[in-house]
Amino acid sequence: MFGRIFIYKFKALIRSHWLIGWNFLFPLVLATAFSLGFGNLIDDDPISFHTMDVGYVAEEDSTFLTVLETLSKSTDEREAVINLHTYNSEKNAKQALADKEIDGYYLLDSEDIHTTVSENGIVSTTLLQIVKDYKNFQTTIKNIAIDHPENLESAVELMGSDLEIIKQHSFGHSNSPYLQYFYALLTMTSLFGSWISTFTLQGMCANMSERGKRFECAPGHKFKAIAAGALAGILIQSASNAVLVIYIVTVLKIDLGLNLGLILLITTLGSALGITAGTFMGALLKKPVLLVAVPMTYAMLCSFFSGLMVASIKQYVQYYVPFLNKINPGAVMSDSLYIASNYGLTREFYQDITIMIVIIIIHIILSGVILRRRNYASI
Amino acid sequence: MSNIISIENLVKRFGEKIAVDHFSLHVEEGEILGLLGPNGSGKTTTINCLLSLLQYDKGDIQIFGKPMSPDAYDIKSKIGVVMQNIAIVDTLNVYENVDFFCGLYINDKKTRQQYVEEALEFTGLTEYKKYKPKKLSGGLLRRLNIACGIAHKPKLVLFDEPTVAVDPQSRNAILEGIRKMNREGTTVIYTSHYMEEVEELCSRIVIMDHGKNVANGTAAELKASLKNRETIRIGIPNLSDDIIHQVKEINHVYEAVRDEDNLLIRCDGGEHNLVHILSFLSDSNIPFGHVSTEQPTLNDVFLAITGKELRD
Repeated sequence: MFGRIFIYKFKALIRSHWLIGWNFLFPLVLATAFSLGFGNLIDDDPISFHTMDVGYVAEEDSTFLTVLETLSKSTDEREAVINLHTYNSEKNAKQALADKEIDGYYLLDSEDIHTTVSENGIVSTTLLQIVKDYKNFQTTIKNIAIDHPENLESAVELMGSDLEIIKQHSFGHSNSPYLQYFYALLTMTSLFGSWISTFTLQGMCANMSERGKRFECAPGHKFKAIAAGALAGILIQSASNAVLVIYIVTVLKIDLGLNLGLILLITTLGSALGITAGTFMGALLKKPVLLVAVPMTYAMLCSFFSGLMVASIKQYVQYYVPFLNKINPGAVMSDSLYIASNYGLTREFYQDITIMIVIIIIHIILSGVILRRRNYASI
Repeated sequence: MSNIISIENLVKRFGEKIAVDHFSLHVEEGEILGLLGPNGSGKTTTINCLLSLLQYDKGDIQIFGKPMSPDAYDIKSKIGVVMQNIAIVDTLNVYENVDFFCGLYINDKKTRQQYVEEALEFTGLTEYKKYKPKKLSGGLLRRLNIACGIAHKPKLVLFDEPTVAVDPQSRNAILEGIRKMNREGTTVIYTSHYMEEVEELCSRIVIMDHGKNVANGTAAELKASLKNRETIRIGIPNLSDDIIHQVKEINHVYEAVRDEDNLLIRCDGGEHNLVHILSFLSDSNIPFGHVSTEQPTLNDVFLAITGKELRD
């Protein structure tokens, strides 16, 4: 029965006009629009992260200076994040800022670290993020300074290389931040799989349609049937992603910075994420009218916060609500593409992949629990 | 004959409202049971409880002698359901639709192929098997809906208004098909708003109102339970109150009323009522024109029991 349901669900889905339109054609249209909008900027890369000149004024010694010194060193993996300039007074730092010798400066007093920049944007976001990262490590650093002062420098250096700002941005790498739009687009397309699931589930649940009623009157095991439908959905969504990737790479001639196999692997995982999210929604929702609206809103919101419309939104979220970037499937998926393209298969990449798998498992477990409890259809 | 369905004291509440109120029903093997009731009488709720699509508050439901539950797959495998609304997959063609739903019951490919072909033949859809549903007329869609519900050769089939919005030709084909299935041993529960269909098709009729079983019997038994057994209409040009009064005195006449130039006479039983009335008019030298008589219909029964027209 599993195989037959899979085949028929696959046939039913692939012949649906709305699915071809939204899941296959719409992403191609968006990709074309992105390409027309800033395709040629990708090579020029005008806002890529580059080493910033940063001033430092301190009234007393601080481990923060050690962190800044760590960030001012180049490594094999990246260029220096900052060029550090030390000043003996804020007046001198201000003057340097006015003369555009530096992009911003830090002022340390006994109470706090104050950040001053000439204008808001990437520089301010980055400098503020460095302070935030430092504060996250501050307690640990202080403890090391008291217990093992001889290890302080190496510990700070280690922490410096583990700062979020390093993980999030590609300092000196050739990939353009504009690629973020395409990663977000792939994310959106994958999450569009969610309404494939709700559509599939609609035909299997008696409280949602007459077809569902007929389906539930049949002697088949519901979970097997839903799994067969989900598998058909993942296959179709993965095909949609493959079409999009091939279109971007071969027709639009945009290098996504990753090999095709890896992109398809990530987008297939993303498709599974979208499909299982849709199954969860279908299990949760009782009104058929919500079965399109909710997954669409979900896909668009997740994609928006992963940088589909405004690329820097992810950095803002990272600064103000970093946890959101770890639970937003869209942000996690686009992040995995970004990290893989800029740094390769690093620990952070595997962390993102793990988060995606965990979200998929959570969706499956929750859907199973809800559907199992719903023994009766409650029409 | 054994009981195929046994419902005892079924109660289903939706909040404060009681949709099914201590409803009991027994359906014997080989019956075609007509389930009638005005809108909101609890028919669909009862059927949903029967199919375990809906949890109920109280009562006991057994099908084929076993308790019915959502995972009673052995029972479900012997039941076919034909919904009131079309329940098919729009993007699959006629053959694929029947094969898909039949496949939920029948695993063996060869058997399934044979059953699907037979269901298409049975519903007259063989020549349309490659058609997509949107290319079919309303009548053909109804037939497809039926084919999807019966292809697996169930022992019990529930038809919920299968002939709504169907042309007379398709309706006759559907009714004849149901009769044929029944002759081959299938037990049928049939709900419809069309009294004449129910009367023509069903071996027994149950009338539901306010969630209760308010009447139960063959069409003849139900009609016999009515006080009004015969309505006689006579055209009398000079109809006076005196004539009406005298007619009321005739044996078995329980009501005589004026309807424009006609006299409407309702009799509560007895034989040769018309002969007695016409003899009285002749003997009294009262001139009369056309004469007609009407037997009570199922709708009269329904009206008398529920106080509503079925199509209300």
